[in-house]
Amino acid sequence: MRLFNKKSDLMLLLRGIGVIATAAIALETTSLIQYYFSRKGLEEEATLRAEGELNKTNLEITSVVDQVETAIRNNLWSVRQELGNVDSLYKITRRIVEDNPVIIGSAIALLPEYRTARGQLLAPYSYLDGSDILSKQLGTDEYNYLRMEWFTESMATHEGHWSEPYYDAGGGEMMMTTYSYPIQDKKGNYVGVVTADLSLDWLTELVSKVQVYPGTRSTLISNRGTMMVVPDDDLVMQTTILDGAKLTGDPQAMAIGQEMLAGHSGSRKVTYSGIQRHVFYAPIPRTGWSMAIIIPSDEIFRSVKRIGLIVTLLQVLALLTLALIIQRTARNLVRYQKVADTKERIENELMIASKIQMAMLPKIFPPYPDRSDIDIFATLVPAKEVGGDLFDYFIRDERLFFCIGDVSGKGVPASLVMAVTRSLFRTVSGHEIYPARIISHMNDSMSEGNDSNMFVTFFVGVLDLATGQLRYCNAGHNTPLLLHDGTAKPIDVVPNLPLAVAGGMHFVQQEMTLPPDSSLFLYTDGLTEAEDAGHQLFGEQRLEEAAGKVTALSAHELVESIHDAVRQHVETAPQSDDLTMLCIRYQGQPDQLSDRHLILHNDIQQIPQLADFVETIAEESGLSQPVAMSLNLALEEAVTNVIVYAYPDGTDGLVDIEAILHKDRIRFIISDSGQPFDPTQVQEPDLNLPLEERPIGGLGIHLVRSIMDEVSYERTADKNILYLLKRL
Amino acid sequence: MEITITNNDNAMVCAFKGRLDTPASLQASKDIQPLLDNADKEIILDCTDLEYISSSGLRILLGIRKETARKGGKVIIKNIREEIRQVFLMTGFYNLFEIQDA
Repeated sequence: MRLFNKKSDLMLLLRGIGVIATAAIALETTSLIQYYFSRKGLEEEATLRAEGELNKTNLEITSVVDQVETAIRNNLWSVRQELGNVDSLYKITRRIVEDNPVIIGSAIALLPEYRTARGQLLAPYSYLDGSDILSKQLGTDEYNYLRMEWFTESMATHEGHWSEPYYDAGGGEMMMTTYSYPIQDKKGNYVGVVTADLSLDWLTELVSKVQVYPGTRSTLISNRGTMMVVPDDDLVMQTTILDGAKLTGDPQAMAIGQEMLAGHSGSRKVTYSGIQRHVFYAPIPRTGWSMAIIIPSDEIFRSVKRIGLIVTLLQVLALLTLALIIQRTARNLVRYQKVADTKERIENELMIASKIQMAMLPKIFPPYPDRSDIDIFATLVPAKEVGGDLFDYFIRDERLFFCIGDVSGKGVPASLVMAVTRSLFRTVSGHEIYPARIISHMNDSMSEGNDSNMFVTFFVGVLDLATGQLRYCNAGHNTPLLLHDGTAKPIDVVPNLPLAVAGGMHFVQQEMTLPPDSSLFLYTDGLTEAEDAGHQLFGEQRLEEAAGKVTALSAHELVESIHDAVRQHVETAPQSDDLTMLCIRYQGQPDQLSDRHLILHNDIQQIPQLADFVETIAEESGLSQPVAMSLNLALEEAVTNVIVYAYPDGTDGLVDIEAILHKDRIRFIISDSGQPFDPTQVQEPDLNLPLEERPIGGLGIHLVRSIMDEVSYERTADKNILYLLKRL
Repeated sequence: MEITITNNDNAMVCAFKGRLDTPASLQASKDIQPLLDNADKEIILDCTDLEYISSSGLRILLGIRKETARKGGKVIIKNIREEIRQVFLMTGFYNLFEIQDA
């Protein structure tokens, strides 16, 4: 198969691509929206979690700060009482360290007025050394705390103060921060500070254990920006947040540093070392410090990334599936289109075939409007476009030849056989008058080379219109009904075999007389086998009942009312077989005026009786003398022929002459029991021959033909019958 | 059927009266023997009273006509009725005979 054998194929492909593209856009848009909101959600969640951690850490730090500040303030009174007692002051510092595990050192540093005996600044100091608490005099010549921040700030502001972190070389020998609170003597003068040292190791531990997402770092800065907890190994040597921020090269980091120094809370995104991070920060109000939690952005969005990947994979899969389906569908559509095209062509051809077939059947009703003796109506409803039913009729020599048939099978093959059958019927019945012989000839012809084993049930009838005599032969067809005086009864039939079963068959011919005003109803099994929705057949009984009610109707009305009965029975069930009905209504010869018989012996001397016979009829009906004479002449010639040829010398026999007079015509039936003699077969004389060559014989039949309008002969039941008709 | 044959100078005159049907023709074929014997003369067939003729009658006329043709005579048919003329026409006899109307 070529890829595009039609423009429509290309169109289909383009349409398929269009559908996939639309689906892809729709899917991707949905995904992007979902991704956006998922990210937003995750960001919000991260913010909540970070804030939670910040709050929690804040609380923990504040609680520690509280402990420290409380411990110091609780001892202020004692310190004031014992300002003059150095030993007591030592005890106080010792007790502060003892009672508060978070405090690693405590000092009471006084102004120079409280110098020691040796003139040194008085600053009793206790501190943890391992698990022991040692005490010493803090003020030395080398260590003048009067200029230390932890001393000056508090003394200046008269408030508690947390110092910048520093490395305590003089005391704890570690990174620490110191809380100092001013001491007032009993007069209210500020005489020094009480301090508590807080290890930054502890703070580092607390802040570092914040792990909101994998890879989370945290930092804690003092109110001057000194990093008490270093967020990144790269920044270990950087002392302030602003230095660290400068190092990242991201202006956002600087902004964060400034925000934190200003004591604001918030969040920002920062990129350094090639990694984007979310930074959440909040101040720790009591100390003036600020804490930040730094989370790699990827970690926040890890789940959405994973979901995004899965969703994308699923979408690609879905699109591929869709593409596959479209391709299949398109291919099927092309195939269906082709099938539909073929189907349409076949349907067209079938419709034409049906028209041709229907054209073969008689279709003008009533077919003989000028005749009062016969009324015919027929209908054929094919189940498929073309069918195997047929009927036909024609009048020849005052005889109605008719037939009905049903070809086995349906569709085109049946219709072909139907056409052959109908054509054969016309051909054969054109020169035969006996139904059995018509059927026999047809059968022989159709049996020859019948490889398809199709057969035809067939009924042929020949109705003598003058007398109502019906000769018929049934080749396996449904038995016709005789409808008369309110009853519908099947006529007596010998079934015989259908046509085309085997050649050389003998077919039985039968005979009956149709009474005037009777109808012969012929049909195919499509009528009796019409099924309703429950597969109930219409059947012979229903047919006889329906037909029995309408015996007085015209052929057309009769067929229509039976058709109605079938439709009522069938309702909406589909028609399964061809349905054909043929109704022949015989109305007799109402215009028949007289019927006279003359019987002669086969003696030439009796010929003159014919003259008297004709004269009587002529007088009775007012025939003119010339007409009477010509009729006399024709009868004489015909009877003479019988006497001379049918009864050879020495034999004895009778000649029966029947004269039937109608208004518009007169008919003679001349019959004898002599040897077969068909005068119609005698050759016509050539009237133009010269005298010498004129034959003596042959004039008689020529005169009969010349005078009469119709002449026909038949041999039946060992009789020669000659029918003569003269139109008047 | 009455057939009267009169022998005038050079012509035989034969008058038919009645119906020349098949049985009559049997007799007539004998009665016209004198005509055949004088077929070298002019033969006048007077059909004034011929009411009817069938093919057997026509055959008799044809026999006379052939005989005169053979012997050098001549046949003239006189005064045929219309019905008989029609029969002559139907059979082509009209052209075989010299027909003289009254």
